Amino acid sequence: MDVSCKKIRTSAFLTLFGAMLLGAFSLTAFGQNAKLDINNLEALSKKASEVVDVNLDGPLLKLASKFMTDEDDREGLEVIKNLKGIYVKSFTFEKPGEYTPADVEAIRSQLQAPAWSRIVSDRNKREGEIAEIYLMTEREGGNVLGMAIIDAEPTELTLVNIVGPVDIDKLSQLEGKMGIPRLGDQTKEQKPAGHHEKP
Amino acid sequence: MRNRSNSLTLAILSLALLQMVPFPARAGDQEFHSLVERMSAYYQKRPMRFMGWLDFIANRFTPHGVSHFQMVIFDDIDSSRTPPSEDFESSLASLVGPSYQPFVRVQEVRSGEWTCIYTRESGKERFEMLIVSIDATDAVLMKMQLTPGALRKWVDEPVKRGRDSREEARQAEVN
Repeated sequence: MDVSCKKIRTSAFLTLFGAMLLGAFSLTAFGQNAKLDINNLEALSKKASEVVDVNLDGPLLKLASKFMTDEDDREGLEVIKNLKGIYVKSFTFEKPGEYTPADVEAIRSQLQAPAWSRIVSDRNKREGEIAEIYLMTEREGGNVLGMAIIDAEPTELTLVNIVGPVDIDKLSQLEGKMGIPRLGDQTKEQKPAGHHEKP
Repeated sequence: MRNRSNSLTLAILSLALLQMVPFPARAGDQEFHSLVERMSAYYQKRPMRFMGWLDFIANRFTPHGVSHFQMVIFDDIDSSRTPPSEDFESSLASLVGPSYQPFVRVQEVRSGEWTCIYTRESGKERFEMLIVSIDATDAVLMKMQLTPGALRKWVDEPVKRGRDSREEARQAEVN
């Protein structure tokens, strides 16, 4: 009785422990942070001729919104007023081919489902350009929690990470500003599944 | 006539003496001064003298919205003291202190040149910007106050402005 009881207790304990571990793992997977770990791209820094980092968060982002008082800035202000941060990392290379598709894949590896979904993918094989936009949305409700943009050109690779609710329709207001590259019409091409426009 | 000549001599002498004192000490900006001291201790090197003239002139020609410009150059630094790239940012952040927020960092990999730009609020409607530019031979510290309008230009074009300030630091070293 004692031995079998002990065995049962041990099995139950192990099952419970396993379930807790699994639960913890699932939470981590679904609880991905909208802020990407840009530091893990340091390997690319060694190949680049120039690396530029822009951190626009906290008080600085609030300040930026304070300056946007012109009529032309109204939509831009709408975009940034609820954001928590804009982070840009840009690598410039001396000649094409100095970074590999595997380097881009290393960035993509952080943008995995279910938390992240790719909403725009634009490839120009002749020019060797790739532009991808990813959104992180709430599992329930579909509210946008963050955005990532990969802009790869033959001699330049840029990663933009916007943390906070972003309205994709108004993203064009930020193009060319705050270190965010110009993406042309790509931002207007698609809308994410589950992305709810505010009235 | 003689009195006027004496006053003129005294003024020139005072101005000359003033140049013997490093600028931050005169400016009464204790924080910048202590940053210069920390940098000085780190590189075991005193900053270049006679920077006061440059600051004096620069403050008269700063772009609109920029004021209280201060600059210090450490020349012929021992580059082996510059931390490796993976530790550079944290080492510099500890030198600069926690009150500054990192804003832009430009690293020119081949030359080993770094330009780090920090900002913080400085009273009502004023912002401080601290630019640290370090290459293999020199380290340049620049501090200035910006109006919201001037800072906005930085926020709108942080990459371009970061590159420009790297160039400005390079020019300052050459001059």
